[in-house]
Amino acid sequence: MSVQRTVLFALVFALTCSVFSPAMAEEPLTVYSGRNESLIGSLLAQFAEDTDIEVQVLYGGTSAVANQILTEGANSPADVFIAQDGGALGALAAANMLAELPEETLRRVINPAFVSPEGVWSGLSGRARVFVYSPESLAEHGLELPNSILDLTGEEWKGLVGWAPTNASFVANVTAMRVLLGEEKTAGWLAGMIANDVQAYPKNTPIVQATIDGEVLGGLVNHYYLFRFLAEDPNITATLHFFPGGDAGSLINVAGAAILKSTDHPYDALALVDYLLSDAAQEYFAQNTFEYPLVATVDPPVDLPALAEIEMPELDLSDLADLQGTLEMIEDSGALD
Amino acid sequence: MLAPEVGRAVGKLSLMEYSLQADGLTKLFDGQAPAVSDVTLRARPGEFLTLLGPSGGGKTTTLRLLAGFEKPTSGRIQIGEQIVADDARFTPPEKRRVGMVFQDYALFPHVDVAGNIAFGLRGSALKQRRQVERMLTLVGLNKFAARMPHELSGGQQQRVALARALAPNPDILLLDEPFSNLDTGLRAQVRNEVRHILLETGTTAIFVTHDQQEALSLSDEIAIIFDGKLAQVSTPHALYNRPVNMQVAKFVGDANFLPAIAHGMTAESRLGEVKLFHPKSGRVQLMIRPEALAVGFEERGNRATVLWREFYGHYQRLGLALAEGSELIARTGVDRYFQRGDNVSVSLALPALAYDDDGARAIT
Amino acid sequence: MQLADAIRPRLRINGQRRHVLSLWHVGNRQLAQIVSLAVVAVVMIPVVYLAFGAINAGQEGIDYLLRARTLRIIGNSLSLMATATVCATLIAIPFAWLTSRSDLPGRRAWLVLGLAAMVIPSYLTAVTFAEAFGPKGILQSLLAPFGVDRLPGIKGFFGASLTLTAVTFPYIVLPVRAALLHCDRSLEEAGQSLGMNRWRVFRHIILPQLRPALSAGMLMTALYCLSDFGAVAVMQFNAFTRAIFIQTESYRMDKASVLALLLVGMTLILLFTQSRLQLRGRHYRIGTGAARHLEVLPLGRFKIPALVFCAVVVFIAVVIPVLVLLSWTAGHTITDPVKAPLSLLMRNTVGVSAVSALAVTLAAFPLALLASRDASRFSRWLAHLAYAGNVLPGIVIALALVLFATQNMLSIYQTLPLLIIGYAIRYLPFSIGATESAFAQINPRFEEAARSLGLSPWAALARITLPLARGGILAGLALVFLNVMKELPATLILRPIGFRTFATRIWSAYDEAFLSSIAPPGLTLILVSAFSLAIILRRENAAE
Repeated sequence: MSVQRTVLFALVFALTCSVFSPAMAEEPLTVYSGRNESLIGSLLAQFAEDTDIEVQVLYGGTSAVANQILTEGANSPADVFIAQDGGALGALAAANMLAELPEETLRRVINPAFVSPEGVWSGLSGRARVFVYSPESLAEHGLELPNSILDLTGEEWKGLVGWAPTNASFVANVTAMRVLLGEEKTAGWLAGMIANDVQAYPKNTPIVQATIDGEVLGGLVNHYYLFRFLAEDPNITATLHFFPGGDAGSLINVAGAAILKSTDHPYDALALVDYLLSDAAQEYFAQNTFEYPLVATVDPPVDLPALAEIEMPELDLSDLADLQGTLEMIEDSGALD
Repeated sequence: MLAPEVGRAVGKLSLMEYSLQADGLTKLFDGQAPAVSDVTLRARPGEFLTLLGPSGGGKTTTLRLLAGFEKPTSGRIQIGEQIVADDARFTPPEKRRVGMVFQDYALFPHVDVAGNIAFGLRGSALKQRRQVERMLTLVGLNKFAARMPHELSGGQQQRVALARALAPNPDILLLDEPFSNLDTGLRAQVRNEVRHILLETGTTAIFVTHDQQEALSLSDEIAIIFDGKLAQVSTPHALYNRPVNMQVAKFVGDANFLPAIAHGMTAESRLGEVKLFHPKSGRVQLMIRPEALAVGFEERGNRATVLWREFYGHYQRLGLALAEGSELIARTGVDRYFQRGDNVSVSLALPALAYDDDGARAIT
Repeated sequence: MQLADAIRPRLRINGQRRHVLSLWHVGNRQLAQIVSLAVVAVVMIPVVYLAFGAINAGQEGIDYLLRARTLRIIGNSLSLMATATVCATLIAIPFAWLTSRSDLPGRRAWLVLGLAAMVIPSYLTAVTFAEAFGPKGILQSLLAPFGVDRLPGIKGFFGASLTLTAVTFPYIVLPVRAALLHCDRSLEEAGQSLGMNRWRVFRHIILPQLRPALSAGMLMTALYCLSDFGAVAVMQFNAFTRAIFIQTESYRMDKASVLALLLVGMTLILLFTQSRLQLRGRHYRIGTGAARHLEVLPLGRFKIPALVFCAVVVFIAVVIPVLVLLSWTAGHTITDPVKAPLSLLMRNTVGVSAVSALAVTLAAFPLALLASRDASRFSRWLAHLAYAGNVLPGIVIALALVLFATQNMLSIYQTLPLLIIGYAIRYLPFSIGATESAFAQINPRFEEAARSLGLSPWAALARITLPLARGGILAGLALVFLNVMKELPATLILRPIGFRTFATRIWSAYDEAFLSSIAPPGLTLILVSAFSLAIILRRENAAE
């Protein structure tokens, strides 16, 4: 190896070392976020500024982050876990890794259905399962809006509906259906949808895009994605349909937060959870991510029916713990093939 | 081993000292028959010792043991005063002061000729340059110092390889089939040049070849190795004239074998009663070199028919069938003209070597 | 030496028996073995982790494995692998030939453009393909004036095959091109003198000489397809990696382990098969002598079709992804609120990739030495085992290291060294393959000659082996570098908190559909990679 090259490598090495080695002061509050930085980054920065608590955040996919915490076990550096869906929080709760939250924190949440029954996690924002659709396409095909998610297996919807079968919110929805309707009926619905040539997408946004493009008439998504598209192009005519009458398709999921049992910053961690349930933070969710605030004092985003107006099925979110069973049912249905 | 003959080239150091002593060298590779088995060698200063034997017979492994590229399973190697390998010690190749010329020369392709030659040199740049100059002059390649190896012809590469190996003044030089990659015409020339250069530098050389002509013409002493074992160590002259067994006899030069019954210094054979080189009794095989047969048109003597004839200018080879059917090869001068079908007389001009019937050693 | 050497895992160039070298006599061999053992031990961390996971899964895991559905998914993966590999080969051979042996205008440019496809993360290619070829995608809008109202779309098997073909064909182009440049000309001339036409010369003389390069490139492609998750997830094709993903989604790492172990098993079978094929094809040596001036074949009336072919390949594999990225930037007004300056991303990505490439190359070094220079079974096994991590999903490698670090070495957890170890486990084979084949091409006599001239083993290594193997080693380094730059799943989990790379940035923006924010890091990643490729290829050609 020539001298120049050796020198070059040494330089690169020194450079990278100097760039990467963080100045290690006191351990900051460590947050593991399955929620995307673009959706929560500025809020966490605001928290740090307001409280003078230093925060460092690891971002990743919710299930990957939850798996990471499960793997880390008692040595997890994480103090707070912020999740996009209840399933991940449930998995950590089941592993007995979450600390109990105080009454007064949990009481902030409008509906006890949105917090952990054991009091180990709290919902932060609500995300309604809806049917996004294009009114033009609906008229074109001479169709009426479905009254139930179960109606979508009807012949008239053949090839017109999109779903994202591996998306965590969808999985939670199917879990809810299993609880509400039973295994057989849910499996039957899945089979019916597949037989009805349902279009599969990797995640929610492509479904909304496909609806706007006219690739499908509508699809099963979380409610807030459409608003991103509307913000960019107000002329988009696609709109949301909430299944009425406590239908199994009208589930409200939550994104939530929990404090790890192994935390060494319990007070700071709690301060963060409280902060995320504060009016300011809840306002932020409503305005920036178009999710439902979960505290009584903050209004939902404009153009959305109030949380109370949505006719939710009778359901405890903790009933939705059996992710595994649902995923296997979805797999067995052939939805992924 | 056999006592060295008198009258061979003698090096700079006293007669009793050896440049190389190897005793009982044995090398086993996993799960194989021994590649080298109990080989003992001596080389005097300035001597040209050749390891001769068929391909795959263990010659190269022996050389690699001497160089330090392989570790002997047992045995002892001494180079000059220094013991470089025995049960307890193993000196790596770079500390042995051994030069090596490889069959494919192994010139470093990324370094020019001068750089290759200077590779093993230590000391000041000036000293190194002088030595490179000297070596280039020695091999006659001064004009090629800046060439890259692939820009040289085979013969030139060969000479660079030699210069590179000689440059650090090694105690011994090892040459592994160094001429086998050269054209026939070039080979003889380069061979002589190398011999000349080695004589000039007085370097002790150990040379591996499977070419008996090459071995006979170049060597001071030849060690014959069959299947990893030493069969014979002698001067070329002794080796040719007194091979220790039939295998060696066959390997070195042409050899005729005739069954005979020996009685002391004579034996009864199809060539009649012949003189023996040494006393023997019972059933033996006579070894007769082709040039030991006198072929002529005499009236008397054993009769034979010429089966074929090969004419080489300065000699001719004849295939002869004896009356009872045995065949012999003869080599004669070109003063007489033979042709196929000629009825000739054949007799033995020199005493014959007699081996035991199973081909084992003649001298017991 | 060639960049392509990197894609020549376990290929022995020299048919000759490998000598146990002098280099290893005096304890150095043990040293190399000990270092190699340590490297392999690190590589085996994920496999051990999987083994424990699989044991935890117990009977349930076995039942899951033997379900008809699981078996069908394996079938899906294998057919995807076979299809993509064959398609990539069919594209790569003419592409390699045109860019190395023909008078195609702008050969070098076509080559760099084509190879750039390799550096686009597969999920990005898949997403942009879905957008471009979707039922109502860009292609449809272009065809709309002709009354095309809707295209069939490219989801599923077709989409996944197309994507994987597009991202993997460069892995075949590289070694095949190198082999073409080193083909024995005299054989071709012999063919021509026997009255063979061009095609028959290619079919009967050139192609057989390409076999080792082809099989190595195809192996690489096959392993890539087997382990890919991005393309199959976007294209909604039910491949094996998706089954693993489903298990991680439902927090059943034990069952995921069973599946991942099976993936390792399939890899070993592939490696075994390939090395068997390799052994049979060993007499087709790739020449290592001085490069000759190869005849450049005039394309004549085929020039236009050839240009069209290259243009189509480059257009689909590279231009479409780039165009779609650009169209996102133009078509979307809302940008990601996250501020991640490109310069920072660049510094992080290039820095960590460079250090990783260097570290991986160093780690591969003793293994490559043993693999090419030591005939012992132990050494060979060490080199084989080092391939174990190559196909494991990034998340599996990452979680295994999470477990390892949090239980044993908390101090390195969430630091760059651990991240780099993760990369090393994944990409070690690239470097071993490249370094090993570079070593294998070096006449062992060179080292012996140096030793007999008084050089210590290490001096011989430094002055003979390394300079001669430099090209191959650098090629491996480059390949690791390019792959680390786009690695995502392990990066997300193992990175120091707050550490951002192009890949994490692209993922983050894509995840929340801030489409306009994908193009800047995406295009910069492609540019940096293409730039690196161009440098390597230039170096390589200068060396010829």
